[in-house]
Amino acid sequence: MAVDLPISNKIRELRFFANEMTQQELAELVGVTRQTIMAIEKSKYSPTLELAFKIAEIFGQSIEEVFQYHPK
Amino acid sequence: MDMSLKEKSTWVSLISTIGVFGYYFYGILGLVGLPVEVALDNALSLAIKIITIIVMLEIIFQSLLAVSHHREANLGNDERDKIFNDKSHRISYVVLVIGVFVTLGRIVIVEYNPSFTAELNSIQIPMLTAHILLLSFILAEVARFISLIFYYRRGR
Repeated sequence: MAVDLPISNKIRELRFFANEMTQQELAELVGVTRQTIMAIEKSKYSPTLELAFKIAEIFGQSIEEVFQYHPK
Repeated sequence: MDMSLKEKSTWVSLISTIGVFGYYFYGILGLVGLPVEVALDNALSLAIKIITIIVMLEIIFQSLLAVSHHREANLGNDERDKIFNDKSHRISYVVLVIGVFVTLGRIVIVEYNPSFTAELNSIQIPMLTAHILLLSFILAEVARFISLIFYYRRGR
């Protein structure tokens, strides 16, 4: 039933290399719920630009390094 | 199933709305055939009863959810919640508008065809117009809850 979004991301991998940061910790840092982080990781939800920049900033990466666009 | 506070809260509202208002409309249909004054009195007491029940249910269950998810409750709606809320409100609005037009259509038909009035009166549902509007509102709310749950499950 889940939608197939054209945006993938490396959040899970980046969390792992950031001292195994949990979804809850990341969610609190960027001000969303854990379920929203989970939905982004599973590509079930595309974050707004603002949230995407916040997430990239947390990991000290550029937005393109965290999110990848795959046009169909 | 990993659900957010908002999704759980929507499930509570959906189940309580369907349960309580289903009971109400079933009760209203049971008044058909009673003398008008008796039916109106019964409808009013039924309405007061279900409003009390739904308010109590919402207060109890939403408070329990908020206490058990206090971190999320303090956060409020995040951007995903807001987007899904906007989308489901659009669906709900369409349902409500259909209900309003059905009500308006009924009023116009009755005004221009007084002969229908006698036939419609034979249905004997107390405050029929108000109940059609109330049903439209409840269906719009149910559509909103179902679409919200759908978006939370399916994603965007």
